[in-house]
Amino acid sequence: MGRRGGGGLVMRSDGVLCEMWIGLSQGPGVAATAPLGPHFTDCISRDQVTFQCWWNPGDFHNLSAPGAVRVFYLKKDSPTSDWKECPEYIHSNRECYFDANHTSIWITYCMQLRSQNNVTYPNDKCFTVENIVRPDPPVSLNWTLLNISPSGLSYDVMVNWESPPSADVRGGWMRLEYQIQYRERNATSWEALEMQKQTQQTIYGLHTGKEYEVHIHCRMPAFKHFGEFSESIFIQVTKVPNKESTLTLMLVLVFGVVGFLIVIMLVVISQQHRLMMILFPPVPAPKIKGIDPELLKKGKLDELNFILSGGGMGGLPAYAPDFYQDEPWVEFIEVDADADAGEKEDNQSSDTQRLLALPQPVSHHMNKGCSNAISFPDDDSGRASCYDPDLPDQDTLMLMGTLLPGQPEDEEASFDVTERAPAPERSERLLVQTQTGGPQTWVNTDFYAQVSNVMPSGGVVLSPGQQLRIQENTSATEVETQKKGKEPDGSKDTEEKKQKELQFQLLVVDPERSGYTTESNTQQTSTPPSSPIPGEGYQSILPQPAEAKPAATAEDNQSPYILPDSPQSQFFAPVADYTVVQEVDSQHSLLLNPPPRQSPPPCLPQHPLKALPAMPIGYITPDMLGNLSP
Amino acid sequence: MRRVWFAVLALVYLEHLELSMKVGTAPICAYGQAGCHILSLADFFDRVIQQSSRMHGISSDLHSEFEQYFFPSKNSIGKRKCHTYGILTPDDKENAQRLGREELTEVILRLLEAWGDPLSQLYWSMSQDQNQDFNHYSSNKALEISDMVHELRDGVEKMAEKMKLLGVLGNTVSYISPESLVPSSALSFYKQGEFNSLDHHDLLYCFRRDSNKVKNYLQILKCTTLPGLDC
Repeated sequence: MGRRGGGGLVMRSDGVLCEMWIGLSQGPGVAATAPLGPHFTDCISRDQVTFQCWWNPGDFHNLSAPGAVRVFYLKKDSPTSDWKECPEYIHSNRECYFDANHTSIWITYCMQLRSQNNVTYPNDKCFTVENIVRPDPPVSLNWTLLNISPSGLSYDVMVNWESPPSADVRGGWMRLEYQIQYRERNATSWEALEMQKQTQQTIYGLHTGKEYEVHIHCRMPAFKHFGEFSESIFIQVTKVPNKESTLTLMLVLVFGVVGFLIVIMLVVISQQHRLMMILFPPVPAPKIKGIDPELLKKGKLDELNFILSGGGMGGLPAYAPDFYQDEPWVEFIEVDADADAGEKEDNQSSDTQRLLALPQPVSHHMNKGCSNAISFPDDDSGRASCYDPDLPDQDTLMLMGTLLPGQPEDEEASFDVTERAPAPERSERLLVQTQTGGPQTWVNTDFYAQVSNVMPSGGVVLSPGQQLRIQENTSATEVETQKKGKEPDGSKDTEEKKQKELQFQLLVVDPERSGYTTESNTQQTSTPPSSPIPGEGYQSILPQPAEAKPAATAEDNQSPYILPDSPQSQFFAPVADYTVVQEVDSQHSLLLNPPPRQSPPPCLPQHPLKALPAMPIGYITPDMLGNLSP
Repeated sequence: MRRVWFAVLALVYLEHLELSMKVGTAPICAYGQAGCHILSLADFFDRVIQQSSRMHGISSDLHSEFEQYFFPSKNSIGKRKCHTYGILTPDDKENAQRLGREELTEVILRLLEAWGDPLSQLYWSMSQDQNQDFNHYSSNKALEISDMVHELRDGVEKMAEKMKLLGVLGNTVSYISPESLVPSSALSFYKQGEFNSLDHHDLLYCFRRDSNKVKNYLQILKCTTLPGLDC
């Protein structure tokens, strides 16, 4: 808006004439046709004690001569006041200076420009002095470094100053509030901090390496106008060379690594035993009850033989010294006192035969298939978990039978043991017997095999048992089959016993293959492919039909099991791939036939089993119970 | 006889007034009664000066808002006299500093006393006239300064008492109400016809000026009584 300000007279409702001053606003860029006359540019007081006014002649350059324009003022401190001329001219500045005697606060002043002829130029300027106060800038601006951040990138600075000497702050005549502004050297805009009544301020977060420019100005509180800015000061903090910091960093790193190593060492040392167990699991050494473990070490076979063969004391003492007092869980290989030495020389027969009590006069129960024999309170019970072909007496057999509920007591029936007189009374065996002539492979399904199906002919189809199948079913079925062929078994057995070599045919339906393969080596027993049950690896158990009693030869496989005699391990793998819980001993350990995938039993050195190891009668200690998956 | 009676009554009344004022203005905590926090004179000054600064600030804000709302084009200068014209006040630094503490205190008290009523009426008037948005939004400021002026007056009186106790202030400070110097109805002084926004403006301008005076006088009083770091 380019309108000129001007005074005017307004009649109020009560009839009083008032002077209304409309603004002296000169908008930008409006073409004012009327020339601009002399006018006041500004009136300022620095200390609220004196003040000055400056004027400008405007477009009338002829009025710039000193004295061409006169300044008059009206001080409205009484109703009878009138216009007076400027008390002090400073023509060089076109300034009118009012000293302390002519200055009064809280009283309205009106300034007027007049020409020589008392022609009043318009645009009076009216004000009160306290409203035109612009204090001088503060002095003695300086800064001190407060701190540097640990990274060395930023720092804080305390800026100090003093109030301008012209402002009488000491006397209480003026109060000031200050404002600091700062900017980076090359920036265009200033950052203003908040108003401060004290003469110091902290600037936070300046960056090292950059140069900052700081200046300050002040004003009276609750008034509008700031004074001029002070001279700028420059703040710069350069980055401290990082030698110390790198050194400390190196030290920290070294100490950290050393500490870490120490911790690792401590861990290793404290957990030494466990680590050793993990990394180098202990190989169980043979432990024979009553025999000093020292003798079982390498190179002492003679002494061992001596002892085992009776030694000078007639064999092992009845109550053998307990060499394993501190290992209560130790399983022992039960050594029969009256074992003769013949067993060891009997190398011709396969161990499996011996284990299965095939017709060898195996008289003692050294069971190489057992790495761990369960140590029951009484000596006899140790045999129960192993293949124990040598059950010389019925007692043990019965014991074994009781211990192995699912197991047919008839294991002896499958054994070619001559002394198996009471064998016929047993139910048919459900043992898996390996072919003796063949590779020394045998299936670890001695006592349990899951019955997967019952054939219409009455036979029972066993499954190799990938997992621990339902033992109850198995045993039930076994019992059933046991009962079935109970009677005829007797005759069978006796015939079997005559046979040296038992040839069995295994009907294995490979689960991988669709069909099934029959494995038979030598003479085939009557193993009619019972029922090609597809898709399942199983052993088809030939029933022991009472009616079907072909020739004895055909009853080779009295055992309802048909065993694979091929060395193909993959048959064996599924066949015996389960663990049967046989018993829970007094220490709440489970007596199992562990899956034979575990470490091959060390006590079968003569039997490099390709597939499954001999059935290591294992057990699970109570603390491993948790790992047992049903 | 009547005159005598009248004089006696007047005397009694004045005495009563004086007594009551004395009792009424007796400082509560000057003697450090139990449960009362003793204020030092410096504390008194700080509080009072702080209060007067605030009061002046709010009145300035109110005045400038008023101007912006009603006279947006130019800062207008109040033309009318203020109703406190009767109170003689020092108008420059020399005079103010030359004036004794007692007179200065008296001036302060007079000024504060003179503004109690007008401000209350201003607030009342503004709150009545809710048509104006300005009144609606700014009436709380009017209320605030109205309260403050009363508080400040009480505070300055207490401070004067304390100063008297401390001996820095003579006993010549009178408690005569400045009503004699001020028109009885201050508001009517500003009122021309209906009390409207224009009248508000004059009143606000005058109060702004007078609150600045009070602030400055208090500052001078402090710095002459307790020259210290803050001065």
